[in-house]
Order: sequence, then structure tokens, then C-alpha cells
Amino acid sequence: MIIALPDGSRKEMAVENARIQDLLLDLGINPVEVIVAKNGRIVPEEEMAGCGDELKVVRIVHGG
Amino acid sequence: MRTDLDASRYSRQIRLFGEEGQEKLKETAVFIAGAGGLGSIVSIYMAAAGFGRIRIVDCDRVELSNLNRQVLHWSDDVGRNKAESALETLRGINPEIEVEALVETIAKDSIDRLLEGSDLIMDAMDNFPTRYLLNQAALRQGLPLFHGAISGLQGQAATIVPGRSACLKCIFPRAPPATTFPAFGATCGVIGSIQVTEAVKYVTGTGELLQNRLLLWDGLSASMDEVVCERNPGCDACCEY
Repeated sequence: MIIALPDGSRKEMAVENARIQDLLLDLGINPVEVIVAKNGRIVPEEEMAGCGDELKVVRIVHGG
Repeated sequence: MRTDLDASRYSRQIRLFGEEGQEKLKETAVFIAGAGGLGSIVSIYMAAAGFGRIRIVDCDRVELSNLNRQVLHWSDDVGRNKAESALETLRGINPEIEVEALVETIAKDSIDRLLEGSDLIMDAMDNFPTRYLLNQAALRQGLPLFHGAISGLQGQAATIVPGRSACLKCIFPRAPPATTFPAFGATCGVIGSIQVTEAVKYVTGTGELLQNRLLLWDGLSASMDEVVCERNPGCDACCEY
């Protein structure tokens, strides 16, 4: 699985099937601060992701 | 030969949207929530484009630390109400339109009154709780909401059309923690300009709207990306609309 992180870096993780929320916590990312796209679509963090998936973690900005 | 049309204020954009499109902009009343960094870009370009009625709302006063990005306000405006300062700038930019500037807080009990008569909502807020109020009011009144937000060199934008697209809460089910964010004028320029472009497209029926997509700007890498977002059938904000 490839994960694109908010800092622009990409990480490859050998994960069979995992809950996205758990992956975020493993990466030290607070799920409240981000949304996650799986294969280009925003999904709830309860969703599972597996080895063929590409995740993009987007840090939510709130300023104006 | 130069015609009256060529010499008019809007001649260069009439080439894009036609006289009919320009007339539609003139007939449109916009509500701009906030006269800060995004609100500056949004209101200036909407005034210049000839949106016929602009209502801009902000409860704050201009501070010196606002001036790196809030181009509606100038050095002499420090200490004035942002709404008052915005009114003066916008009238200077385009005296042919109606501008109303209100020193008010956007709250649950004031939002419907503040939105009265508006055709669309521009999100230029700096926090998610107020954005959710705008989202709920947009859904309730069936008005499009043009979302934008920034932090530092990054920004995001999305167009929300009730009944046709994911709402703000489908995209962001919960508010991120409120923090003091770094703010840079040119980032407001990028995102605010996208919001205005979307509003003009919506009104004139031009192009393809940024609906069901979240556009992401990263100034560090000078790149744009987008992710697809869909209506969440379980969304507590829009499930009944």
C-alpha cells in the first residue's frame, strides 16, 4: 500500500488489510486533523484498506 | 473601431460570458461571510466582476497583523471595523454595484436574517463551526456555498450545490482543532480567486463546477490536486435535503 502524507512524502507500507484510522494512529497522525482519500475518493476512517490501495492523507486547513 | 461595449467596465469578460452572462452577474446578490484574507480577495474580485449586490459581514476590527493578506484594508484602516473599511474599498473599486457591509457575528440565531435576499454564499471564514452554520443555512435555503480555506502555503476549495453535491459536512464530518494558523496573502489570492471563478461559473452557467471534488493547493510544491467526494447518505447535515 502506498500512502501519500500531508508533507508531500510517500510511504510504502506492507499491510494486508487494516482500518484507516489505525494506520493513521500508527503513523502518528491525529485522525481529527485529516481526511483520507482511498484511490482518489474521500472515505470514512472506519474504512479498511489493503495492499493494492493508494491512500492520500489530507491535512484539513481551516483559516480564512 | 472602439465601440461603447469595448469601452465598458466589463468588456474583457463579456468576451467570456456574453452580455447575458454579465446581466446575470448584475442580478445576483452575494453574501460574503468574512472580510479577512479570503474575504478580501473574494469581495474585491466579485465587486470588480460586477456582481450587482454584495453583502459582506465581519464583526472584527482591522489589526496591523492583518495587513500582510487582507488587502481590503489599508494601513490607515487599523482600528476601524473591517466591514466599514471593506465598504469603502469596494465602493471605490466599483461604484456601479450595491454594497452593504455589516458589523455582525454570524451565529445560529442571526444567519437566516443575514442571508435574507442572497442568491449565493461565499465562505471566507476562519473556523469550521461557523462554516457548518453556513453549510446548514445553504442546505435549508437551497443556496450554493463556495467553500475555501487556507493555512500557510496550503489551501482547499469546493463548491457545494444543495441536492446536487456532497455538502461541507460530507467532506469534513468533524471540525479540525482550532489553532492559530499561519496566513499568507498570496495563498488567499489563489483560493479566493478559485471561489470567485466558481461563483461566476455557477451564475453564468459556464464550465464544470468544482462539485463533488475537493481541490487542494500546495504552494510549497506549486501543485494542485483533487480528491473525489460523494454525498454521505448518513450525513447528519444533508440527509434530509
